[in-house]
Amino acid sequence: MTARNPATAPAHPGWHRATGLALAACTLVWAVLVWNAPLDSVQGVVQKILYVHPPCAFAAYLGFFVTAAAGALYLWQGDPRWDRLALSSAEVGVLFCTLMLLTGPIWAKATWGRWWSWDLRLTLTLLLYLIYIAYLLLRSFTEGSERTARFASVYGIAGAAIIPLNYFAIDMAGGRSIHPENLQRGSLGAGMAAPFAMAAVTVIVAYFALLFRRMEVADLREALARREAEAADARGEATSWDT
Amino acid sequence: MRVFAAVLWKDLLTEWRSRDRVVAMAVFAVLVVVTLYLAAPPGPVAAARTHLSGLLWVTIVFAAVLGLGRAFALELENEALSGLALAPADRGWIFLGKATASFLLLGVVQVLASAVFALAFDVDLRPIALPYGLVAALGGLGLCSIGTLFSAMAVRTSYREVLLPILMLPLMVPVLLGAVHATAALLEDGNLPAGPLRLLVVSDVVYLIVSFLGFESVLDE
Repeated sequence: MTARNPATAPAHPGWHRATGLALAACTLVWAVLVWNAPLDSVQGVVQKILYVHPPCAFAAYLGFFVTAAAGALYLWQGDPRWDRLALSSAEVGVLFCTLMLLTGPIWAKATWGRWWSWDLRLTLTLLLYLIYIAYLLLRSFTEGSERTARFASVYGIAGAAIIPLNYFAIDMAGGRSIHPENLQRGSLGAGMAAPFAMAAVTVIVAYFALLFRRMEVADLREALARREAEAADARGEATSWDT
Repeated sequence: MRVFAAVLWKDLLTEWRSRDRVVAMAVFAVLVVVTLYLAAPPGPVAAARTHLSGLLWVTIVFAAVLGLGRAFALELENEALSGLALAPADRGWIFLGKATASFLLLGVVQVLASAVFALAFDVDLRPIALPYGLVAALGGLGLCSIGTLFSAMAVRTSYREVLLPILMLPLMVPVLLGAVHATAALLEDGNLPAGPLRLLVVSDVVYLIVSFLGFESVLDE
């Protein structure tokens, strides 16, 4: 049995194992439920995107909310762990938002007859997606970990603060939602509620599983940068925290 | 408050001496108007009238992004930006001074761009000069408030000219839509609708609060 390298071993192996096992179990149950879910009489098999597309939206919005909240906590407390949480959550949020924006048009083409429409929720989500892509670009173009964290926190909070304004703006501009309102009216077809609920749970578990792993990567990168700086110090080289 | 006046005076005086930002913004705005006119489908200009307010505001937003990109460029020389950050005052006042200077410069460009636009697209803005001036001022305030905040960030990054519009434009949608719809209604029947006006005012207030508070974390010492 080989000894584990403490530098690369997960700091919280319990969380990794728990979220990994939970994700595997949830995915299995979700797959069985979706397989056995009744076919929609009008839309046919394409309706089963319901068990992927809206749950991805939940995870994406959760990711963006956590990014803004963690950014605010970073500015308040100055603890770099909040910044690493914000970055990790933004990346995972962008991943789920990409999945949502890819699966949505497949459903839209089958039900609305076109790939894209400037519907209220679509436009709002696309703007939010662009804001968080800009957030990641800002991070990659800014040098210095402390400066990057400050800039990104401010932008993440501004991006979240603008969501309600964008909603009213697009609503006013006539981008009325043509999204199905089934969920609001509680009128999912018979046998569809359980797989839908399971899909939501599975995607949220997937969000946390990915978030913990991404945070681990961020922690390791931070530790590596610190070690390199210490090694350079020991060699007497000039270093900057902005590396 | 003295810091606000000092920063505003410094920015306006520097601009008066060089005039490079206003001239660049104005020339760019005129070029955008000409490009938009040439890019319009052939036929009577009247056919494109429904899009006029949108085209006008796209011109203003592009010119604003160009000008805001230069708002902090001068402060990079001799580490003047660090000097500003070390000033013994609330950084929010520095933000207000910089944003007000950009707002006034954009106002000059808006007057010129609107006049050129009116001539090019045969629109008479004179009967609606006052309400249009109010909409232009509210739109300019929104652009310059959050634009100043992002400009202070972008200037400290690589790809600063590219990054500023990427940061700004997704957050400009409420101001853009409010201004476009208010201007469209003014061009249509001369009345200023309450909905877009309310959206502009609320957006400006939110942008100003976020930028005033956020600026504290954006300046490097």
